[in-house]
Amino acid sequence: MSTLLPFHKAIIEEIHDPATSDLLILARGLGLRRIICTLMKIYDSNKNLVLLVNASPEEESAIGEELGITGCRRPGLRVLGYETPSKERQELYKQGGLISVTSRILVVDMLQGDIPVHLITGLIILHAERITPLVAEAFIVRLFREKNKIGFIKAFTDQPEHITSGMSPLKNVMKELQLRRVHLYPRFHEYINKTLERRRADVVELSQPLSDSMSDIHSAIIQCMTTTLSELKRSNANLDLDDLNVENAYFRSFDAIVRYQLASVWHKVGPKTKQLINDLNVLRQLLFYLLSYDALSFHAYLETIIESNTLSASGAARVHQSPWLLTDAASMMFDTAQRRCFKTIVPPEEKAVISPPVIDLDDDEEAWAALDELDRTNSTSDKGKGREKPNPRPAWLPKTMQPILEDQPKWDLLSEVLLEIESETIRFQSNLKPGQMPGNDTVLIMTSSTRSCDLIRDFLDDMDPDAEPGRKGVKMMQKRLRGYLGWRGRLGSQDPIGPRTGNPANKSGSSGSANGKGKEREKGRDEVVSEALRKKDREKEEKAAGRRRMRGGAPGGGSSRNGNAGDAGAGSNADGTQGNEVIYVDKIDDVMTLWSNDSSDPTATLTSLNNEIDLELLTREDFETAYGILPAEQTIVIRAYSDDTDDRMLAEIQPRFVIMFEPCVEFIRRIEVYRSSYAGLALRVYHMVYANSCEEHRYLAAIRKEKEAFERLVKERGVCISTSNLYPILTHTDAIQTMLLTLEERKEPGSATAGDSAVKTINTRLAGGRRELSKEPSKIIIDMREFRSTLPSLLHASGVYIIPATLTVGDYILTPDICVERKSLADLVQSFNSGRLYNQCEVMSVHYKHPVLLIEFEEDKAFSLNFISEMKSYVKPTSKYPKKPANRATTFGASISDPTNDPGSSSGPTIQAKLVLLTLSFPRLRVIWSSSPYATSDIFTDLKKNQPEPDQIKAIVTGADWDPDVGKGVNAVAEELLRSLPGIGSGVGAGGSVAGAVMRKCKSVKELCELSEEEVKALIGVGPGRVLYEFLHKGE
Amino acid sequence: MPPALAPPVVVPNSGNNIVVNPCQRGNPVLECIRNVGKEFGDTPADYQVGRTTGILFLSLRYHRLHPEYILTRIEKLGHSYDRRFLLILCDIEQHRDPIRELTKSCLINNITIIIAFSNDEAGHYLTMYKQYDSKPPDMIKERVDKDYNAILRSALTSIPKVNKTDVETLRSTFGSFANMSKATSDQFRNLPGFGQVKVRNIENAFKKPFRNDA
Repeated sequence: MSTLLPFHKAIIEEIHDPATSDLLILARGLGLRRIICTLMKIYDSNKNLVLLVNASPEEESAIGEELGITGCRRPGLRVLGYETPSKERQELYKQGGLISVTSRILVVDMLQGDIPVHLITGLIILHAERITPLVAEAFIVRLFREKNKIGFIKAFTDQPEHITSGMSPLKNVMKELQLRRVHLYPRFHEYINKTLERRRADVVELSQPLSDSMSDIHSAIIQCMTTTLSELKRSNANLDLDDLNVENAYFRSFDAIVRYQLASVWHKVGPKTKQLINDLNVLRQLLFYLLSYDALSFHAYLETIIESNTLSASGAARVHQSPWLLTDAASMMFDTAQRRCFKTIVPPEEKAVISPPVIDLDDDEEAWAALDELDRTNSTSDKGKGREKPNPRPAWLPKTMQPILEDQPKWDLLSEVLLEIESETIRFQSNLKPGQMPGNDTVLIMTSSTRSCDLIRDFLDDMDPDAEPGRKGVKMMQKRLRGYLGWRGRLGSQDPIGPRTGNPANKSGSSGSANGKGKEREKGRDEVVSEALRKKDREKEEKAAGRRRMRGGAPGGGSSRNGNAGDAGAGSNADGTQGNEVIYVDKIDDVMTLWSNDSSDPTATLTSLNNEIDLELLTREDFETAYGILPAEQTIVIRAYSDDTDDRMLAEIQPRFVIMFEPCVEFIRRIEVYRSSYAGLALRVYHMVYANSCEEHRYLAAIRKEKEAFERLVKERGVCISTSNLYPILTHTDAIQTMLLTLEERKEPGSATAGDSAVKTINTRLAGGRRELSKEPSKIIIDMREFRSTLPSLLHASGVYIIPATLTVGDYILTPDICVERKSLADLVQSFNSGRLYNQCEVMSVHYKHPVLLIEFEEDKAFSLNFISEMKSYVKPTSKYPKKPANRATTFGASISDPTNDPGSSSGPTIQAKLVLLTLSFPRLRVIWSSSPYATSDIFTDLKKNQPEPDQIKAIVTGADWDPDVGKGVNAVAEELLRSLPGIGSGVGAGGSVAGAVMRKCKSVKELCELSEEEVKALIGVGPGRVLYEFLHKGE
Repeated sequence: MPPALAPPVVVPNSGNNIVVNPCQRGNPVLECIRNVGKEFGDTPADYQVGRTTGILFLSLRYHRLHPEYILTRIEKLGHSYDRRFLLILCDIEQHRDPIRELTKSCLINNITIIIAFSNDEAGHYLTMYKQYDSKPPDMIKERVDKDYNAILRSALTSIPKVNKTDVETLRSTFGSFANMSKATSDQFRNLPGFGQVKVRNIENAFKKPFRNDA
């Protein structure tokens, strides 16, 4: 399908040999997937077993399809996930061929011997940049090399930026992958350069200044960021925070930088600093939302932020707001954002009413009726006789609101560009006969997210071409405004008084009757609003459904093109195509758009049809014009940037005009590749950037970063090769020593040069490793879910025989008596809060003699519990009553169970207090404090010395009598969500837990939500059932 | 060791005091025990915070110099107390090996380790052990009585990547939890602040089955 350019062929030539193991680092956008797919096609055979590791679900399906297209079908790439039962997996492994496996599953299968490791032909590992000693893929490579010395490992990455941190990043990656050949292909590689420079695309750079209000907001956000940053620096004066500046804050990696800088003192920084860092994150997002969201969505998002910041979880007013919210700049930002949408005015007749901008109760019935009316006339009139513009003032608009509805500046630009393309196309058509040139006249618009795709589509749908610049999107914005008003009403119902319908009287009593009345009034209004809205939505849906049905037959041609129907694709079309009339793209007033769920699927340009013409009236010709496949020049395809899938999309659509709505380095390269693949293609690219915005900034910096990364890698490779003779091909024992070596290096950072470490390898072999190996291997049974953490990999590296199993009680079974529950610090806090830890300890105490809680800290973070500031404020109030310990205890109890007490405001019980209570409640519970996973692994081996080995079968059935599904794959996220619902809980009672009962009855959370109240009650009992049902359906 | 040899437990004069072993005199941690009374008395443990609760104290810096000290203390402790703790003050950098060894010996001797990272924290622990000695564990048990928004927030934030602003967005857009479960991924994706990963996580939580059909 996709053609291979000369440099692709050269790369494949280099790395295809199955006798060698290679790492390929290619610049992004140059078609890494093509290379991978070609390689996989070469290896495809029943006699081979080639595993694709570390591919995301999207990549799996895309690679699978690409392989299918290139003729590698039976059986093609098979995908294994946790849904595949283990029997089936074993079968598939035996059949051979190409198989993609989730890393966690593969580890488990390798450990359990479900996969014949010695028969694996080779591993293809994607995202090699993520390989560190701690990830599952490194574990896989180790397990693989243990039993299989001849298979190949081919690792790929197109993200060189990630392989730059640390002393010798490339060497580490190579060491973990146990390979020695690296191929670097940056964009500036001579060969690539030569191939791509030969044919260049015609690029039009368009730089659009921000509108006044936008640049006001932009600078306000920057100001807020500066304030937050200086606040951060002030509160951590002893730290070197020079790297933290607004420039850096544009990038996503900024959070990582901050975390990294603060890691050593993370336990000492108070909640305030953490909040500041969080704020920076929010502000950074705002910068981008400002450019990509429309004015209303942006304003709505700001409102949500304010809302979630002013009210705490329990509904009380929050004490500690983010500091930037209180600055002048912030209030200016909010004002300007609102002014871009609407003004609040005093209505001429009712001067007395002051403004919350919501609809008045009085005239709502009429208003909504009028609104429906209006909308109907609008839509029909648009279709029929043209526009009935401008409609002066829609009746649904609250009297206090004057809509402004500013357009995004790029929209204007876009409509101009489209016009230009129109005329260009016509010029072409008059000069040339169609078919003479490759490519077609489809216009491809690329944006950064599916969200902005939708936005642009809506804009083009409703665009008013005759309006003056800056007002073209008014119609769409008005639609959005209406949606916004409804949403605004629901946001307001967060009010702690409003929504508690159960006992409104007693609640509103506390807040004064006048206030209460006001709220109720508001509530009533909301109901009206939402009901009317719902009605409208229904109507709209019906209309849309009807339309789709009528046209159901036509798009088949489009979608059958790649045999995968129902994909993303937006066809919009212009009417007035007869003859040589000038085509106005802007007349796309009635567009059918099928915008389906999965944007990552390949595009099928679903051709859409024009007007609704009665079927009976159709002659054959008419049918063609009305229901046939649209000529390409009438379609506009709007897509979001994605990964290498874009290459195929370009090849399929073959556009001659590409509009890049937002800048993107990768996509420019893709266009280069696309351009070079087709000789004589007259490609024009419009590249739109907001001048002096973070968008432009980020684009330029991304180019720079990638270049620097490659330069570093090239340098390091030079060094690597000269020292690589010191490393023999690694065997299993060596693998362990490599691990020990890394441990050594960790102890003495900086001291290990290449020569030193070679000596150390020999030393450790004599001293440590051999003794461990000569012993009969000791066993540890590990819960499947734990394979997401790094500990199993490290335990294996230290010579322990690992048995994966689905455990009900505990995470690690060390001996028949010792059962360990592992908690990272975040887990610990969370499971204390949810009460889950108490239950887990209870169950462990019932079934095991030595229940153990393992508190594991992270390697590079400080070894300490980080709640000191809260601890102090917790001690303080008690000092007032030093003589009444009994009272004090009850005050604590009250303050804990009192929901109005905001845990964020510091007075909740500390983690230490909870730990004290836990250890007092379970006298047999032991606590292991481990500063890192490495330390844990040491402690475990220590504890296992001279102890009997655990029994796998016994461990699995322990505490799981009630669960018929014991030992099967679990969806941890769904289970967690279920357990956090009221009435379910995490307890294991007699005859099984509530959660277990629910999981037997319902397949998913969604199914639970679909049950009727009676069914829920029957399932979990009347009392909890009612609570649960009310929770699920509250607010409907 | 026969249980008869267990040393007698000292009953403090006032039930509200921590009984401190005289050997702890001069320990800076004593200064950090606030809000509870202290008295000296000859107990097998260093700090006796309840009739059946005894706490030994060990500074790792001291342990480094006298590694045998704590073993003799543990031996002396014998079988007294039901709830036995070793409070370790972690005041050295190279804590990994000593902690590993202590973990092992404490597991054998039925002692639970608690690690404090400063004198203040150690004192705080002792205070809390005294205060909570006879307190029911309600605080760390599951709580059922919470208001709607709090439960909704904690439930939805249990999904990775979902923060409180998103909870607000979800609630105001879909109204109820049940409606969220019915929403399509398109609807999620169009919400402000929702990227691909977040949408996928939410979908996994709501729509993917709990167990596979093996």
